[in-house]
Amino acid sequence: MRALVIDDSRAMRRIVGTILKDFGYEVREAGDGRQALDVLQEGFTPDLCCIDWNMPVMDGLQFVMSVRANPAWRQVTLMMVTTESETGQIVKALAAGAHEYLIKPFTADAMRDKLALLGLLPEGVTA
Amino acid sequence: MTLSRAQPITQLLDAETVQNIADEVWPSLVGDGEAFVPVPVAPPAEVLSAWVTISGPWNGAVVLTCAPATAEALTESVLMTRPPTVVDDEDVADALGELANVLGGNIKSVLPGPSALGLPQIGTAPATGRLDDVRRLDGQWRGQSLTITVQGATGAPHTDRNEVPQP
Repeated sequence: MRALVIDDSRAMRRIVGTILKDFGYEVREAGDGRQALDVLQEGFTPDLCCIDWNMPVMDGLQFVMSVRANPAWRQVTLMMVTTESETGQIVKALAAGAHEYLIKPFTADAMRDKLALLGLLPEGVTA
Repeated sequence: MTLSRAQPITQLLDAETVQNIADEVWPSLVGDGEAFVPVPVAPPAEVLSAWVTISGPWNGAVVLTCAPATAEALTESVLMTRPPTVVDDEDVADALGELANVLGGNIKSVLPGPSALGLPQIGTAPATGRLDDVRRLDGQWRGQSLTITVQGATGAPHTDRNEVPQP
């Protein structure tokens, strides 16, 4: 399985990426929504995008809307991974087309539970 | 029309809540078994701060302050680097900024909303506003001084700088 981790923090990209690699994912990274769209347009089609909300250039919500506007990326599962935990923000992200929401800080177990809910836990990884 | 006074952070947030948030942030970002211990130690002579702003019914910033050497050690822990890998200033800004960001986001979630969170900044902490609009938690990590400060903005609406705290 393939994942694209989108966060302006290299530290957070490393944390999320390490967890996903431990689960067996092939991981690519992007520092903002614009860079992430470039990665998708290059032909890297992930099973999962983990998306921070607050980023420069293009934020996570704009990225979600851009992906959802392109039928070619309909199969990509979008999960917000963010400190934005107000109900209104969660509703806004889900309404825009995000599938799941993981609030920072989180544990590897919390990430595994979300992936299990989404049916994106690779074979051999126990839920 | 009468403008209501903004509530100071001391009426919105207690130290225990800040500690509870730090208790979740440290193991997740800094590493398993790591903790922000709320026992103050002597403050460092030279400090570095990372912060995020909160804009909404309450306006201010969440600031994480420590010595540059502590910031470097925190960065090594967050990035899981081991010697001989050396972290640079960009790494420190990124890791300390993300710690401030996650602390700030979680503190924002317990304040009246809706509010907006700014992007992380690093350097000399912004000046504080009203004296009673500061919630400060002094502590340590691996024996080194760390301070989490939730402070009102100097130009926050309906506030008076350096006003005498209300009982």
